[in-house]
Amino acid sequence: MCVWVLYAQSLQLKFVALAGQQPLVLLDSTYHTALNEPVTFRNFLFYISHIQLKDDNGHEIPLKNEYYLINATDAASKTIDLPVKPQHIASITFTVGVDSIKNVSGIQTGSLDPMRGMFWTWNTGYIFAKLEGNSPESKAPVHYVTYHIGGYKYYENALRVVQLTIPQKQTVHKIIIGADVLAWFNKPHPLSIQAHPICHAPGALAMQIADNYAQMFHIINVE
Amino acid sequence: MKWQITIMIIVLLVIMATGFTIHSSKPTPLVFKIPPGWPQPTYNFKENPLTVQGFELGRKLFYDGKLSKDGNFPCSSCHQQFAAFATYDHNLSHGYDNSLTTRNAPALQNLAWQKAFMWDGGINHLDAQPLAPITAPNEMAESIENIIKKLNDSPEYPVLFKQAFGSKEINTKRIMQALSQFELMLVSSNSKYDKVMRGEASFNLPERLGYAIFKEKCASCHKEPFFTDFSYRNTGLPVDDVLQDMGRMKITGNSADSLKFKVPSLRNVAVTEPYGHDGRFFFLINVFDHYRKSMVVGPTTDSLLRNRLPLSNYEIGQLTAFLYTLTDSSFLKDPRFAPPGYTITPPFMHVH
Ligand code: HEC
Ligand code: HEC
Repeated sequence: MCVWVLYAQSLQLKFVALAGQQPLVLLDSTYHTALNEPVTFRNFLFYISHIQLKDDNGHEIPLKNEYYLINATDAASKTIDLPVKPQHIASITFTVGVDSIKNVSGIQTGSLDPMRGMFWTWNTGYIFAKLEGNSPESKAPVHYVTYHIGGYKYYENALRVVQLTIPQKQTVHKIIIGADVLAWFNKPHPLSIQAHPICHAPGALAMQIADNYAQMFHIINVE
Repeated sequence: MKWQITIMIIVLLVIMATGFTIHSSKPTPLVFKIPPGWPQPTYNFKENPLTVQGFELGRKLFYDGKLSKDGNFPCSSCHQQFAAFATYDHNLSHGYDNSLTTRNAPALQNLAWQKAFMWDGGINHLDAQPLAPITAPNEMAESIENIIKKLNDSPEYPVLFKQAFGSKEINTKRIMQALSQFELMLVSSNSKYDKVMRGEASFNLPERLGYAIFKEKCASCHKEPFFTDFSYRNTGLPVDDVLQDMGRMKITGNSADSLKFKVPSLRNVAVTEPYGHDGRFFFLINVFDHYRKSMVVGPTTDSLLRNRLPLSNYEIGQLTAFLYTLTDSSFLKDPRFAPPGYTITPPFMHVH
């Protein structure tokens, strides 16, 4: 009975890591970026927070803010159960990253625990998104490609808000969202691995990469 | 009827028992005293209320090698009480596997009033500070996961966490908050200077003259009562070609902040040598000579120091006398801050 109630009350978000149109394969597959640079990926993770759902009338469905760390290598992290009953949903909005208040108030727990490795210790603040791999184009040691993107201060703000509209008019139980790693290299600031194999700190490059990855999401399906 | 009474009694007993445990595990509040005339602290004590048990746990952690990879580098290996919690006699401190830090370990005192930490102000909260030395390969070289495991495996820590925080759970936040509780209590406000300000003592002649010179030439940056205004400034130390430390610029990314470092407090300065962000000055006289002779004036050098800082030998003598009045021997010997179990401060420890 209890289980049934919980199930009935929740609306599920599912994130699928993609490379272009295909599911992302870590380590074993070589992909080509928009600038035709070959790259393999090892690690892909990002925070999302401030999820907002709007119904058909444009009304916001009340939701408590939570911080979710989506990790390509951790299946459980890719599914989020929102305490909202299945209904018609017109759009979903969320923030990629962790808002400034959580960056300046000491140590958090749960998904925001610095132990998760998404935290800069020498320049306090959360890493909002990480993409790591290798490329022969990289001149960094071991040809590493390492993008650690964050920055909450106004002059280096890498927080990005994503809005996705849901085309189907139907009762929504589950929204499946694709997150395409190749978008990191694409628009609006084509990213050259040769020029920038590494981004390890907030600043201009991090903000550009954040502009790019804000475009990585699209709705694959609604159930 | 009988079984109903039995149940009633059991329920009552259970309620009494829970009441008792909740009561007995409540930690004892610890009062943080603001020295007279000092501003309100910056640290948000509401988020981490000081308690006797929390403070004692923090002290134990501060002195415990378990927080480092090989057990040899507790916080206290670099922050020694007799040196006002700086590293005594080391320009750079020693860390894991024969490594060195890239900066001089500052004194730890009056941290409750500080908004940002480290020479470049890169860390914005006292609770977040320990993550840096704990995980740095040239300091403690450990991971939080491993520390939590080691503490959970020890016979005493789970109980101490329960006493301090109400349950045996050991997590990142609790470890950091306990360390903060210890560090927040490190208040130095009982030097001769403080006693003079409170009317309990008086300066001798050189000290008095030195204080007047200090107020004229130094206090705009080394502002009372903390002897720092907590700003970042370039005082013309030429960049070390090995360390290549650009200071505040690394944090802000702004070239106007190149070679700026936090103005250090001068409290207890007589025991915190060597001096400067990389410890390049071994004695106070080297600092004075830097200000008056060897400063390299560049584009970001502080406007107050465009013409260096002329000081006569006579002024240096008086200034030195004054700076010595900033030594707070009750702080350096306070048994509350010594390793747990010590009733007097330990003899000089020298960890290499
Ligand atoms: C290997 C030596 C070493 C160890 C071990 C060490 N520290 Fe430090 N500490 C330093 C150095 C060096 C600095 C200055 C670093 C900088 O400015 O970049 C510092 C800075 C600090 C500061 C900032 C003070 C200020 O005024 O900005 C605090 C607080 C501090 N340490 C606390 C701790 C705690 C707590 C631990 C144990 C978890 C610890 N340290 C372990 C060397 C060490
Ligand atoms: C323009 C601001 C400014 C003025 C004026 C100034 N200082 Fe400093 N002082 C600093 C800064 C910044 C540092 C740290 C420099 C560094 O290491 O890069 C410092 C470092 C020091 C140190 C080393 C302390 C330590 O723990 O490393 C001493 C001692 C000192 N100053 C004494 C004085 C005295 C005495 C005067 C007056 C004659 C004075 N200062 C004037 C900004 C100033």
